Amino acid sequence: MTVTPTADHNGHIEVRVDAKAWMLPFVRTMAAEVAARADFDLDAVADLRMAVDEACATLLGDAVEDGQLCCGFAVDRDRIQVQVTVPPRRPGARFDTTGFGWQVLRTLVDEIVTLPVEATDATGPPEGAGAVLGVRFVKKALVP
Amino acid sequence: MIPAAEHSAPSPDPSAAAVSEGAPAPDPHAPEPDARDAEYAHLAGLLAEHAGLAADDPRRSATRDGLITGYLPVAHHLARRFVHRGVPLEDLVQVATLGLINAVDRYDPSFGRDFLAYAIPTIQGELRRYFRDHSWSTRVPRRLKDLHVSINRVTDELAQSLGRAPRPSEIAARLGITVDEVLEGLEATASYASQSLDEVLTEGEDQATLANLLGERDSGLELVEVHETLRPLLEGLPARERTILELRFFHNMTQSKIAAQLGISQMHVSRLLAQTLATLRERARDAEPSP
Repeated sequence: MTVTPTADHNGHIEVRVDAKAWMLPFVRTMAAEVAARADFDLDAVADLRMAVDEACATLLGDAVEDGQLCCGFAVDRDRIQVQVTVPPRRPGARFDTTGFGWQVLRTLVDEIVTLPVEATDATGPPEGAGAVLGVRFVKKALVP
Repeated sequence: MIPAAEHSAPSPDPSAAAVSEGAPAPDPHAPEPDARDAEYAHLAGLLAEHAGLAADDPRRSATRDGLITGYLPVAHHLARRFVHRGVPLEDLVQVATLGLINAVDRYDPSFGRDFLAYAIPTIQGELRRYFRDHSWSTRVPRRLKDLHVSINRVTDELAQSLGRAPRPSEIAARLGITVDEVLEGLEATASYASQSLDEVLTEGEDQATLANLLGERDSGLELVEVHETLRPLLEGLPARERTILELRFFHNMTQSKIAAQLGISQMHVSRLLAQTLATLRERARDAEPSP
């Protein structure tokens, strides 16, 4: 597991834990650590930690029994892309975008999309549909 | 915090109960406005005598001892309230007693308050100070504690001058330490967050409300609907937590700005927000029908 955020090439980290609430501290601590080591401003570090926590917490209830939650971080200078996914309990499940949790996430991050990505008529069923449920977002440093 | 003695009706008021404890079979709900005064009434004469003596009067030492001994149960009780914070009761009693001694030495009847109204906040202040100065060191190595304090201070200073939260590298440059040391300090901050001294120091001081911060309600609130569904959950939150949550998520203020506005540290805002979100999630989950 390596990350070299200040070098020219990207760093990538993946954390995989049982989809249980008591695992979340590991994941959010990793999120904060990744951002701090990428020299993100502390507001952004705190935001990323909360966003990961929120995303994970939202997904726990939708994960298949004994499934694993996967959280990946891709660091590119002042930009961290995070992807949190679980194997869904119900096929066709969608990430909840109606509640306060979604509002929280949208406030905390700069770009966000739910997974699987919405299907369009032209492309047919979305990539990985049914196999994965989650969210992908980008947090940037120094965004006022 | 309102000094307990200003409550005229001491129904289940914890402070009032504090001082009437030890009385024979007290009913905590019975209205006994004078229970506390009655319990310590026998000290009133001594108090007056002590106050009337000149500072260099040799009799003062005896009256002082009498007062300290007489009011000791108050110190005991206040100490016991802090007992869940990982410090032995004996230590707490010692600290509270120190507060009591200070109260006896500094009390002046011309303050216009009775002695307990003065002593209780004084003792509580002493206990809080103790936690501020010592309790961290019981969990975190001294070096990390100092680091935390430095980082916290510099973070807020830099946030002021930069107009945004600083990067770890900027904190390191200001403190003249390495980025790794800053990261280590930040880690300690995060791991030991829940029992932090900030919690002790600001406990009970949640006077800030959104209304008095912003002057008036933001009528253009985009997310009225979300806000409405959330209202019952938000209502159960302490005023300060609710304010921080609203400023962050409904007014999109950064943590640094909220910290500056509320006069607390960015790290403290961060902790409070994270805790509040967790609380809300739990409540929302409890409110849902089980799957």
